[in-house]
Amino acid sequence: MEGGVGGAVSSPASTPLTWNDFLDRMRQPSAVNFVKSIKSFIESFTTKVRNTEEDSASVQQFLFNMVEAFRAHPLWAGCSEEELESAGEGLEKYVMTKLFNHAFASNPDERKHDEELSEKMALVQQFIRPENLDIKPTFQNETSWLLAQKELQKINMYKAPRDKLVCILNCCKVINNLLLNASLSTSENHPGADEFLPVLIYVTIKANPPQLYSNLLYIQRYRRESHLVSEPAYYFTNIFSAESFIWNINAKTLSIDELEFQNNMESARALLPGISTNTDSITATSQTTHHDVKTERIKSKESQASENRKKLDGKVSDTAKSESVSVLETKGANDLLKEEELRKYFSEYQFLYASAGDLTVKDVENLLDNYKQLVLKYVSFLKGIGAFNPSFPSSLTEKSAETSNTREPNDVKESDRDSDKFDVFCKAVEDSISESPSDQTDQTMESNDHHEFPDADGNSSVNTWTEDSGMLGFNLSPTRVEEILNSDTIGNSITNISKDHGSLDSDSEKTQRSNEAAVP
Amino acid sequence: MGCASSVPDRNAGSLTGLNDGSTASDSKNLKVKLVLLGDSGVGKSCIVLRFVRGQFDPTSKVTVGASFLSQTIALPDSTTVKFEIWDTAGQERYAALAPLYYRGAAVAVVAYDITSSESFSKAKYWVKELQKHGSPDIVMALVGNKADLHENRVVSVEDAVEYAEKNGMFFIETSAKTADNINQLFEEIAKRLPRPSVVSV
Repeated sequence: MEGGVGGAVSSPASTPLTWNDFLDRMRQPSAVNFVKSIKSFIESFTTKVRNTEEDSASVQQFLFNMVEAFRAHPLWAGCSEEELESAGEGLEKYVMTKLFNHAFASNPDERKHDEELSEKMALVQQFIRPENLDIKPTFQNETSWLLAQKELQKINMYKAPRDKLVCILNCCKVINNLLLNASLSTSENHPGADEFLPVLIYVTIKANPPQLYSNLLYIQRYRRESHLVSEPAYYFTNIFSAESFIWNINAKTLSIDELEFQNNMESARALLPGISTNTDSITATSQTTHHDVKTERIKSKESQASENRKKLDGKVSDTAKSESVSVLETKGANDLLKEEELRKYFSEYQFLYASAGDLTVKDVENLLDNYKQLVLKYVSFLKGIGAFNPSFPSSLTEKSAETSNTREPNDVKESDRDSDKFDVFCKAVEDSISESPSDQTDQTMESNDHHEFPDADGNSSVNTWTEDSGMLGFNLSPTRVEEILNSDTIGNSITNISKDHGSLDSDSEKTQRSNEAAVP
Repeated sequence: MGCASSVPDRNAGSLTGLNDGSTASDSKNLKVKLVLLGDSGVGKSCIVLRFVRGQFDPTSKVTVGASFLSQTIALPDSTTVKFEIWDTAGQERYAALAPLYYRGAAVAVVAYDITSSESFSKAKYWVKELQKHGSPDIVMALVGNKADLHENRVVSVEDAVEYAEKNGMFFIETSAKTADNINQLFEEIAKRLPRPSVVSV
């Protein structure tokens, strides 16, 4: 179905070829100066002191200048506006993927805002009703809204501003379609903003997307200005409004009696540690002074719980256990790098040093088995130290499934054959863990898009587009993985672990699926 | 009521979306951001739908969400104006969010329901807000909708005219149900746009 934000999202113009097309052109010898400028810009950005305003301005200026330079360059001679447009998208994605670790959530105040916002959503989502937001009964359909929530929860799986924006637009699209269907099947008026915004707010609260505030600021700062206009700008403004509304939520804005609101918040707070392990935000709590006593109580409850866990695993810190996962991981990685004979630690993982070309069809099965074992080990490990959070249903499996769908056909030969098995496996994992990956896991599951241009002289021997461990949720950045791999001198030629997210393609497909599902 | 009978054409929404960044306004072809304010239930989205679908095949089955729509009109002087219409949620609890929407808008249409004095008061509130926080050269229109329900009228034309004149606004009564004055509303707005400086989209 077309409509709503439909065209915006599934617009075919810049979809499938964009990214590879951009990379291909950058590999041309005549692009050498572009590559140099891009690299030098990235270099200068990463080394300078962070200032969000200046950072945004410099990236915007750079992207604008580069696209103008593309326009004037023989590489794009005779190209349509559309192809140039693709190049601009590719450039933005490349640059921002490279700058992500420096540009995203780099400000401590904003990170604090994220935590407090997330906590607020975690509490409010437990008692908010559609009527609290003026959602008419005709338009109340919580089950279908799950689809919209899922779109929003994908936001941290991407690094490029456009891809993140697409998650938001997809969410809005699903909501629009649901509203339309509801209005067509009743005699209700065509839904407008009076209907749309309340549902978006409701969906956002229920989704509690990770680092929402940082994500919005990141999009605002680094999505090219010329492209944050018109319809995308409208829907972006809506999610920004939703964020602002949620941030300021109180008894009055929900038309709940003050006392009742307080009680609801307290009960929610009391429930939270029991059903979730999202303790980072709980401990970061207490800007609400009324609840200090209660909060203290919860805190002590919580540390009791961690005490118990501590007995199980002496290494887990008693405050922020999700964080301790990444701390452990980082520590381990650092220790590994110091090891003399790093290789022995990996000897049982026969595919670690393989490149796509080394694989035979027969290996696929082995690889899959290996992968399954690894996932189960990892999941059990996480479970063991209590790093799972039930608030994100099935995103681990979904991510895995998605990755398998969007894989380049030549990445792993005969991969299709295993897709059925893979689905079964995903299902099994889903069933085996009643709880789903935590916020923390979710964040670390973001795509570790890592792309390299060839050397300036055009040698591109290293472009192995392999899946990386990102899908498993390791905290290790691809660069770090690379570092570990390379630090052991085994003469392997893998210098690049990268994975094309294929996001544009898969997003439109997926949304289409969601919408088909949404239409009765 | 009165706006659910048919649905607009797919072109109506002009859903070029993410890749629409390159279309720039020039002196012949303006692109303007229009924000729509007013209490919930005054028929904001109906006004827009009427306007947008008026010029398209009403038998089309394709539907669009009505919170963002765009429509281009041609003026007698052979210029065109593309309106990008931003609807806002009119419920009281969302009032504080409106500045996020009218920031950078070249036009604000403030709508009320002629059968509801409450909605007229709300309209006055929006006008004051816009005068305080909107861009200084914003073109404002006061729109009394549901003019077909004149037997239930509680807001007189005189009152509205007086208020509009005092605040330098253009005033019109419309009926989204009968399509009365809908096109006139947008044509009049187009005429009032300051030509070269409005290129704010």
